[in-house]
Parts: sequence; C-alpha cells; structure tokens
Amino acid sequence: MISFQNVGKTYPNGTKALTDVTLTIEQGEFIAIIGLSGAGKSTLIRLVNKMIPLTEGTLNVDGIDVGSLKGTSLRQYRRKIGMVFQSFNLINRTTVLNNVLAARVPDLGFVRSLLGLYSKKDKLLGLESLYKVGILEKAYTRVDQLSGGQQQRVALARTLTQKPKIILADEPVASLDPITANQIMKDFRRINDQENITIIVNMHHVDLALKYAKRVIGINKGKIVFDGPSSQITEALLKDIYGRDINDEDIMFKDEKLV
Amino acid sequence: MTKILCSKMKNWFNQLTLKTRTTRLADGTLSIRPVSLTWFYTLLVVVIVVYFFNLIVLNYFRQISFSFFVSRIPNFFTILAQMVTQLDVDYLSNTLTPLLDTLKMAYLGTLIGSLIALPIAFLASQNIVKNRYLSITMKLILSLFRTLPSILYALIFAFVFGYGTFVGTISLAVFTLAISSKILYENIETLDMGAFQAIESTGATKLQAFTVSILPQIYGNFVSTALYSFEINIRYSAILGFVGAGGIGILLNDAMSLRDYGKVSVMLLGLLFLVLITENVSRYVRKRVNA
Repeated sequence: MISFQNVGKTYPNGTKALTDVTLTIEQGEFIAIIGLSGAGKSTLIRLVNKMIPLTEGTLNVDGIDVGSLKGTSLRQYRRKIGMVFQSFNLINRTTVLNNVLAARVPDLGFVRSLLGLYSKKDKLLGLESLYKVGILEKAYTRVDQLSGGQQQRVALARTLTQKPKIILADEPVASLDPITANQIMKDFRRINDQENITIIVNMHHVDLALKYAKRVIGINKGKIVFDGPSSQITEALLKDIYGRDINDEDIMFKDEKLV
Repeated sequence: MTKILCSKMKNWFNQLTLKTRTTRLADGTLSIRPVSLTWFYTLLVVVIVVYFFNLIVLNYFRQISFSFFVSRIPNFFTILAQMVTQLDVDYLSNTLTPLLDTLKMAYLGTLIGSLIALPIAFLASQNIVKNRYLSITMKLILSLFRTLPSILYALIFAFVFGYGTFVGTISLAVFTLAISSKILYENIETLDMGAFQAIESTGATKLQAFTVSILPQIYGNFVSTALYSFEINIRYSAILGFVGAGGIGILLNDAMSLRDYGKVSVMLLGLLFLVLITENVSRYVRKRVNA
C-alpha cells in the first residue's frame, strides 16, 4: 500500500511542483495520472521511488517511510519498484537480453556485473519476462535495431525481471504511434491483471488513460483535482483537470468517442 | 561604386567604434546586426604571428648569416645519403631484441594505463559523481599528469627505480592514463544518462549502474583510444631509450652520437615496420569494434 500524507515538493529553485497531496493506493491497482505537462505528474511518480526526494509531508510504502531512506536502505527499497520511461532508457549498444538482465545487477557482485556473469536463474527469469511481453525471439538482437514499440517492450521486460511490486511508468507511450501505444497499454493491463503488480502510469492522452486504467488521478498545477474510477470521468471534470477544453493533442485516437 | 565603398568603410568604422549595424527593409522594418569583434581577433592573431616570427626566425638570422644557413642545407642530405649508402644490414639481427622490448613496453604500458583510466574517468565525470570537488580534483590531477611529457616521467622513474624496460613501461602507462582518461571522461559527460538513471532506479549502486549502462556505450571509444595510445607509445618508447628506459632508443642514441647513420637507418626501418604493422592492425580492430 502506498500512502501520501500531505506530501509537497518544492524544487531548490523555488518551483512548487506539488502541494498537499494525500492519496492511498492499494496493492494491485492500475492508476493513470493525467494532466497538462508541467502539472506535476512526473514529480509525483518520481517521489515514489525517491528519484526525487519529497520536501513536505510523509510518504509511506508498505510500512516503509520513504522520506527517511538513503544509501543501502534506499537501494534495497528500489529493488521492488520498477520504472518505465518515455524515452525507453535502454543501453543501446548491447543485446535485448543484456538490457533485461541489467535489472538483476543490484544482486550481483562487482566482478560479475562487470563481466556480465548472470546466474542461470536470472537468465531464465529474463527470458520469461521477454516471453511475457511477446518478444522472446529478439533476445539476442541489439536493441538499437528494434522499433520504438519493441524497445518499450524491452523496457517493460527489464522492469518485470526486477520482480517488482510496483511499476511506475512516466509517459510510456508518448513517443509511440497510436497503434503501438495501444498495444503497450494492453501489455501493462495484462501484467496488472495477471501478476497483481501496482501500476502507476503518467499520461497525457486522456482516451488511453480512460480505456486502460481502473482509477484516474487528475492533477492541475500541483494539486489533485480528481481522484476516482475512470468510469466517473466527465467532460466537465476533464475541463477542471486540464484547465481548458480537451483538444486533439490530448487524444490519441481522434475518431473515437471520448466519454 | 564609390557608394558601395563608402558604405563598406562606414561599416568598418561602425565596427571599430563598437556600433551595431542596421539594415532597413523595404517596409521600414529594421534588421539589427550585433557588434562583431571578428576584426579584433583577426588583428590579434596577425600581431602575435608577426611578433613570434620576429622572435624566432628573424633573431636566428640576426645571429647567423643567411649564407651560412644556406651552406648548411646540403649537410642534411649528406646524412640522408649516408643512411642509404652505408646501410648496415648485418646490424639488423642486433636490433631485433631491443625492437621487441620497445613493442613490449608500449603494449604493457598502454594496457595498464588504459585499464586504470576507466575508474579514473568514472571519478572525473561530473554527470556520474555528483560531488563537484571530487571530479574537479580528479580533472586537475589529470591535467597535471598531461603537462609533463613522457620523457620526463622516464627520467624521474629511471632516477627512482633504476634503468630498463620496467621504467619505460610505467612511464608509458602514466602517459596513457593521462590522455585516455581525459578522452573517456569527456565522452562519458556527453552520454545520454537515461540508461544510467534506469539502472539506478532498480536499486543498483552508481558503480553497478556505470558498469552495466555506461561501459557498453564507451567501449568502442575506449578501444579506439587504447589503440591510438598504443601507436603513439610505440613511437615514444623509441625516444624513451635515450634516457635509459630500455628498448631500441638506447641503441639509437648510441649510433646517433657515433654518427653511425647506417645503423640508425636500419633501426628506423625496423621502427617503421613496427609502426606500419600496429597502425594497420589497430585500424582493422577499430573497424570491427565500432561496427
């Protein structure tokens, strides 16, 4: 369970990214965070694994006070949290399998990680993750030869190899074409259904968020303005979240009806 | 014509007086060119060149007459001619062991220096080590290392550890370390840190994230740099022998002081052969690695 208690984030330059966020997320939920760019979506997601430290309030994940974590305890905590990025963040000059296995590095000694000596168990885990996202046959291909959608699948498989309890995804489909984006979102949904992993996805595209997430959190200027099941979203609420009418840029499949 | 010349002159004057230049378009919109200091830098370069030319070249001819200079030119060709006509082919067998020593020194020195350069580059990279003071200190130490020429290292190490190939090897290692860690940390600082960040987010330490995400990205450049250092080191290790660091340089120094140009040319040919081989091998390996 993730619980935010009056959490706020002020950056060193004085920018107030989040104010007074209070939320509870149960294990196994699928949450989409929507809002304009600059609203604080990325900050919110990065507070969870402390890629960005919070400045106000308390954040508690499965009984662990995230704010007080550092060094070894922080790294230990991060092992259970996967992260997927908009730009995939893969290691380009190496194979798909090596990328996926990189998620096992925290358990490896220095020499073994330097030489890439992963255990048989880890390799099997990596290959199984690739199978789950449907690109097992690409295991020995270099990642820079894959398409964007395939690369994001590798990133997803890397995260699964971590055996996470929570997956954070920061705009995972923003740089993909609509059809691929749809497929990646389906992968997320399937993983959520089958493995009971909590998934928190930042997205700009309203239609995809409503289609795949079970719960939607709307952020406007660092504050939560909506939090509820995706079925409850109305045009009026979207206007509150975005501070304006929804336009073509906020929707991936422009021909389908939104709400 | 005079009109164009006048406006050119005016522009020049405006630049000298640090005024901006404006052009009026047909509808009255102004395009403003900012003050350019190009003329100043051009002038600066010309002044420096003239000053140095006077200092070095003209001063030489003030002390030594031009006719003397011309009369000495044929000596250059005399030496060249001696190198060809007195070519001492029998001496070749004597040069093989020292040539091999030179190769060994260069090889081992390059290997040791390049490997140590990796952790040093890690510590000097600002985007990985967030402690500014640490990376700046590392960079300062590295520039200090680069300031000293490798022959000076050989002199110092020979004084400390005695003469021979060991001294040559460590001098070359230090020199390789100094140049390749600079090339590597500059490479690392331009890398996209996305992959590093992703691995860090899995709970890996900075060192683990570095080995897994940064090393594969700099691998090609690392090998190229090592090979390039190897090529330079082969040439350098020939000179290092002059100060007692082992290898072909010792014999080369002896033959040069005895003006035995026949032996010199044999050794130079041997060196040329060595350089040609290493250059071709390294070009081949570089191609394979960067493919």
